[in-house]
Amino acid sequence: MAEQNKDLILELQGISKSFPGVQALDHVSFGVRRGEVLALAGENGAGKSTLMKILSGSYRKDAGTIVFDGKEVEIDSPKTAERLGLSIIHQELNVMQNLTAAENIYLGRQPRRHGVIDWKKMNADAAALFARLGIDLDVTARAGSLSIAQQQMVEIAKAVSFDAKLVIMDEPTSSLTAQETNILLEIIRGLSAGGIAVIFITHRMDEIFAAADRAAVLRDGAYIGTREISEIDVSGLISMMIGRTLTQQYPPRNARIGECLLEVEGLGDGGRVQDISFRVHAGEVLGLAGLVGAGRTETARMIFGADRKKTGKILLRGREVSIRSPRDAIRNGLALVTEDRKQEGLLLRQSVQANTVMVALEKICRRKIIHYPSARRAAEAYVKDLRIATPSVDQRAVFLSGGNQQKVVLAKWLFSDAEVMILDEPTRGIDVGSKREIYEIINRLAEGGKAIVVISSEMEEVMGISDRILVMYEGRIAGEVRREDFSQQLISEFAIGGRKL
Amino acid sequence: MMTPASSRNRKTEIVNGLGVWLILIALFLVLTLAVGPEVFLGTNLVNVIRQICVVGVMAVGATFVILCGEIDLSAGAMAALSGCTSAYLMVNTGLDVWVSVLLTLLAGMAAGAVMGAAVTYLRVQSFIATLGMQYALTGIVLLITNGSPILNLPKPYLIIGRGYVLDVIPVPAIILFVLVFLSAFVLKYTKFGRDVMAVGENHAAARLSGINVTQTKLIVFALAGGISALSGIMLASRLSSGQPNAAGDLSLQALAAVYVGGGTAMAGTQSGVIGTLAGTLIIGFINNGMNLLEINSYYQKVVLGIVIIAAVALDTYRAHAAKKA
Repeated sequence: MAEQNKDLILELQGISKSFPGVQALDHVSFGVRRGEVLALAGENGAGKSTLMKILSGSYRKDAGTIVFDGKEVEIDSPKTAERLGLSIIHQELNVMQNLTAAENIYLGRQPRRHGVIDWKKMNADAAALFARLGIDLDVTARAGSLSIAQQQMVEIAKAVSFDAKLVIMDEPTSSLTAQETNILLEIIRGLSAGGIAVIFITHRMDEIFAAADRAAVLRDGAYIGTREISEIDVSGLISMMIGRTLTQQYPPRNARIGECLLEVEGLGDGGRVQDISFRVHAGEVLGLAGLVGAGRTETARMIFGADRKKTGKILLRGREVSIRSPRDAIRNGLALVTEDRKQEGLLLRQSVQANTVMVALEKICRRKIIHYPSARRAAEAYVKDLRIATPSVDQRAVFLSGGNQQKVVLAKWLFSDAEVMILDEPTRGIDVGSKREIYEIINRLAEGGKAIVVISSEMEEVMGISDRILVMYEGRIAGEVRREDFSQQLISEFAIGGRKL
Repeated sequence: MMTPASSRNRKTEIVNGLGVWLILIALFLVLTLAVGPEVFLGTNLVNVIRQICVVGVMAVGATFVILCGEIDLSAGAMAALSGCTSAYLMVNTGLDVWVSVLLTLLAGMAAGAVMGAAVTYLRVQSFIATLGMQYALTGIVLLITNGSPILNLPKPYLIIGRGYVLDVIPVPAIILFVLVFLSAFVLKYTKFGRDVMAVGENHAAARLSGINVTQTKLIVFALAGGISALSGIMLASRLSSGQPNAAGDLSLQALAAVYVGGGTAMAGTQSGVIGTLAGTLIIGFINNGMNLLEINSYYQKVVLGIVIIAAVALDTYRAHAAKKA
């Protein structure tokens, strides 16, 4: 162990972290060699981000030790990480838009002369740094005028200027073009050649095989293994990422599929999301799978009128409808349960009752005046029917657990008599028990003749509850999988663009 | 199923619901001790109520605006302009009293709608949009009046701000209480009222629940403009003249009343206007108490300033506590 330690810049030993109801990381142990490029792979929710946040000092680990550069370290804040020589570049870049590239690099520690900032030296230092890293960029350019890829390079340069020995990048290529990605990968290889180790988190197989020396895999918070890139292929890596059998947490599907309720034709936002066409039938649960950022949420929001569509049309029961706002959508019997129930789904300070009736307020009005006894009856019926755990319907939504909050959101749309319901990550952040209940509710709704679209990044979930799955990749529908053909391998291949229709 | 969180919640709720009235009662006690029981004798009480009516009415409009998540700094200028406009219409063009009043109210609503349009369609922050409107309205009132008051208002007009019903109940107090009652009703029992609450708490969630956020805000600003105009008419009537400089810090007093009332932090259960009424009373009694104690009136401004900051701090604290609990 001792002699091996010298080769490792970072060694994780038994790192664990749990959140209420979720074991996010379970005794994760692996090492990163000095100067290597290590790809960290895993499905959404595998624990990659949690691990990053522990390394950057944003989260505290529950157990385990971190050995960095041969010494055991306690990372309690981003500052500590930085001081140790461990730099993290987040997906959300930390660049000050109004400052120049050079200022961003030396923020808070600008070279000074006689107490004032020595601009000449700062720009010269930054230019030298860029030259060393092979970054072709004007150091006096305002960061706000740079592309995302260029801003990323500024962050990389900043990390290097701190004498980072290890740079961790969280999905650095997720918003880059193919060409920008190539340049970035080249810079990453350059860092590695200069003796700086890089961990980069990515979903894209081609990048792992193009740039990484080794790949480490996490799955459900557990460390699965690390492989030399030269010794593994794409399908081997995918089965490491997903390899597990379906558990019996999904209620059986036995809905009768009826007429087509929603039909989407050639939907697009004029940008990334293009040419989305599909149908959903009464009694059917259609899964929408794909990686985060594949355009599923955007598609749902366009259908619901929350964002403007540029192309395409929407038909309900075969009749084209004009949906320009959520109001129009609701009038046409659509419902959207958003991914972020706290920000977009609920009025947290208002009661369960107020939230339940807010979409279809006119249903409890008598001569335009709200009849509270009716509202209470409606809310109480849903509390009972959906088994919402709350002391009373007067309880404010903020005090409910995630699962119960989600049930209130469902109640609100049920009360609006929606026929087509789009559920965006309906079980995100919900404990296992409530998940099963949500699945049962979805099942019952389908059996009651509603058409349901479920967006889910959890492979197991989307396969467990859907009758049919559409897989999106980079803003398009990459494939359609029928229930009899469901396999994680097939869906994953569509989702990472590895297989074309 | 009573979790610790929910019982704590129940407690904060009660404190928040009563809080402002407790402050009012504490204030009564302090005043009784400091000034003597005459604070609550009929004449002084009627006096205080008459004094707070203009601010109180204005504060009802401000409550709607704040509940829907915006702010209106133009109310004072709107009041000054409306007082003078109605006076101008009656005195200089000889229009009928009630026609003048009606036209003035409509003008106030129109000006409010303009601000609402700036906030919604042009996406100007309401702080800026209404600050700009305040300047514009102050300019217009000076243009109309040339900076001098309009006197000789017709008798019937004076009833609005100076009249009594049955010789004891001031007409402006009736206007205030009717307005508060109506507003509380609208906020609790109509779709529009619930929409205002929803938009103010979370406009993204409101929009995705099919609420027309733009329209709701437009109506609120128009409503607030009309209510400010009404308060201006009451003020001009009480002063028996259209005073171009009458508004002064009325906007701030109205906002202070809303924040002291705390009807905004806990949007949802309480009908905010009732809290606002209590806030108005608190500010009225603080001013009145200082008058009775013969404290230099300049100090009153200092105290009002401190009260506003303390009230907003308390408001923020409550909102924070509610979120965290």
